[in-house]
Amino acid sequence: MNDNKVLQLPYGTKDILPGEARAKRKMEDKIAANFLTWGYDEVATPTFEYLDTFAIGNGGISDESMKFLDRNNRTLVLRSDMTTPLARMVSTRLSKDKSLKRLFYIANIFRYEETQAGRQCEFCQAGVELMGAAEPTADAEVLALAIASLQAAGLVDFTLSLGHIEFLAGLMEEAQIGEKDAVAIEKAVLEHNAVGLEQIIHKLYLTPELKAIFNRLLFLHGGEELIEELLGLVKNEKSRAALRNLADIYNLAKEYGVAKFISFDLSLNRNLDYYTGMVFEVYTANMGFNICGGGRYDSMMKSFGQDCPATGFAMGIDRIMLVLERQNNLNISSDWDVLVAWGHDKVHEAIKKVTELRKQGKTVKMATTETTEIQAMELKKINHCNSLVYLK
Amino acid sequence: MDYLTIALPKGKLFAKSVELLAKVGYSAENVVEDSRKLVITNEETKVRFIITKTVDLPTYVEYGAADIGIIGKDVLLEEDKDVYELLDLKYGKCRLMLAVPEHKRRPNLTDYAHLRVATKYHNSARKYFDKLGIQTEIIKLNGSIELAPIVGLSELIVDIVETGTTLKENKLVELDVVYHASARLIANKVSFKLQFERLNKLVKDLRVVLEEENTKCK
Repeated sequence: MNDNKVLQLPYGTKDILPGEARAKRKMEDKIAANFLTWGYDEVATPTFEYLDTFAIGNGGISDESMKFLDRNNRTLVLRSDMTTPLARMVSTRLSKDKSLKRLFYIANIFRYEETQAGRQCEFCQAGVELMGAAEPTADAEVLALAIASLQAAGLVDFTLSLGHIEFLAGLMEEAQIGEKDAVAIEKAVLEHNAVGLEQIIHKLYLTPELKAIFNRLLFLHGGEELIEELLGLVKNEKSRAALRNLADIYNLAKEYGVAKFISFDLSLNRNLDYYTGMVFEVYTANMGFNICGGGRYDSMMKSFGQDCPATGFAMGIDRIMLVLERQNNLNISSDWDVLVAWGHDKVHEAIKKVTELRKQGKTVKMATTETTEIQAMELKKINHCNSLVYLK
Repeated sequence: MDYLTIALPKGKLFAKSVELLAKVGYSAENVVEDSRKLVITNEETKVRFIITKTVDLPTYVEYGAADIGIIGKDVLLEEDKDVYELLDLKYGKCRLMLAVPEHKRRPNLTDYAHLRVATKYHNSARKYFDKLGIQTEIIKLNGSIELAPIVGLSELIVDIVETGTTLKENKLVELDVVYHASARLIANKVSFKLQFERLNKLVKDLRVVLEEENTKCK
């Protein structure tokens, strides 16, 4: 036996201690209650599934997923996202249900990541999927719900960057970029390597107009005026449709009163392959990576045998907790309303007392042995109780 | 307006970086390499400078402890941090080279398989040889790489070369370029989005200054 491992946790995992866990539960409850008011129903799926399920959904399996074997030597994967299992579940179990599927989950996800504070290999996500609607109304609903959920979690200040997968795809088609260069361009965009992108573009034979847009690509951030400007510059129909789609979504988001949180970022490219339309990420100060992300994925359900447009998002519960903690807005104290302690022969009375207090909704701890009043005062302190009831 | 924190690397890129940033309005009193102050603030323009060890700089930016920074592409490739690379600043030009002692030169690159390679850039060297499909033993050193083949610690070296003089002095010949590098402006992912207007302007202004310098040189 390796003694060194006894006290260690596996790479990328962590304990959630009292107080912290209480704050997390409270936050999850608020988020879940908010999801319900928007008409979303909770579901749960297995923690692990066959590798093939994730491989189909993601168009391949990444190095990030944690794999192991079952007793028949079939490869299993700890879920590396919730969108794929939900798509599988809806396609197989809910295909007869004709309603729009509005589903939510709060679940732990597993991915090999280079861990930092706020980036663990096991982490908790809350998210929704809206399946069966291709219209901008669905995307705007999902955006507005993402913002409302972050607010329900207690965040005030954040920015939602909104982009569209088809914008870049359209530009690449127009420029007739070969597969090898396209892969390199997508990589540079994903890594946000403006220098690398410029070097690739420099080598290609493109019209000056296209070259100018490609060179500006990673700096295409802005408001409504940016979309207008780009509609004047971009010729190909695919990119133009993407821009119009973004404008439609934005106009609906305005009605939800969330436009002030949204800014466009046409370089946004999420590192999951299944997105087909609008994509978004949410950022806030005090956190070096996004706290929420999502988008439209119209072709995934097809791989599970049911052609169905879909859109959704997930938010990182652990990251949001960390942001609130860094803003001193997270109450992780683990305190209680009352300690009930008792002297000689008073245990029956004490039980009656705690029962009565609990009925009033108080959080109550009860001493397990007979104490003196002075001992009881000490007990109250070390048990983090705000008041003491001593029965003598 | 929030403070913009700029990380500057100690060493050869430092002076030029301070000069360049001053030209586009980002300066503070006493931004010197051996500053006793760890953080130098300009209250007026809301800019903060921190001066870090070269290899640590991308880490400061990745974590958002600094919003932007200036660093060599060689360090970026070696450290492989998740940061945005915004602009090639064109100075601090150098190349990471594979070199061998003159008398040990062989006809083909593939003839060097299964040899020992001394380098400070072990990640870059590993990737380079993996790509070529050449198996080698990488020996990580922290300096004076040229010494390794002389005393028989390694047959090959992978090291940063600016002019090539040091290699020549030690009777080493350059075999292949692993990559070319120069100073880059990098940004934290989230800072880039939250302070976009300011950073976009900074990049534009820097482009103009670099363009001017370029024409002057010609």
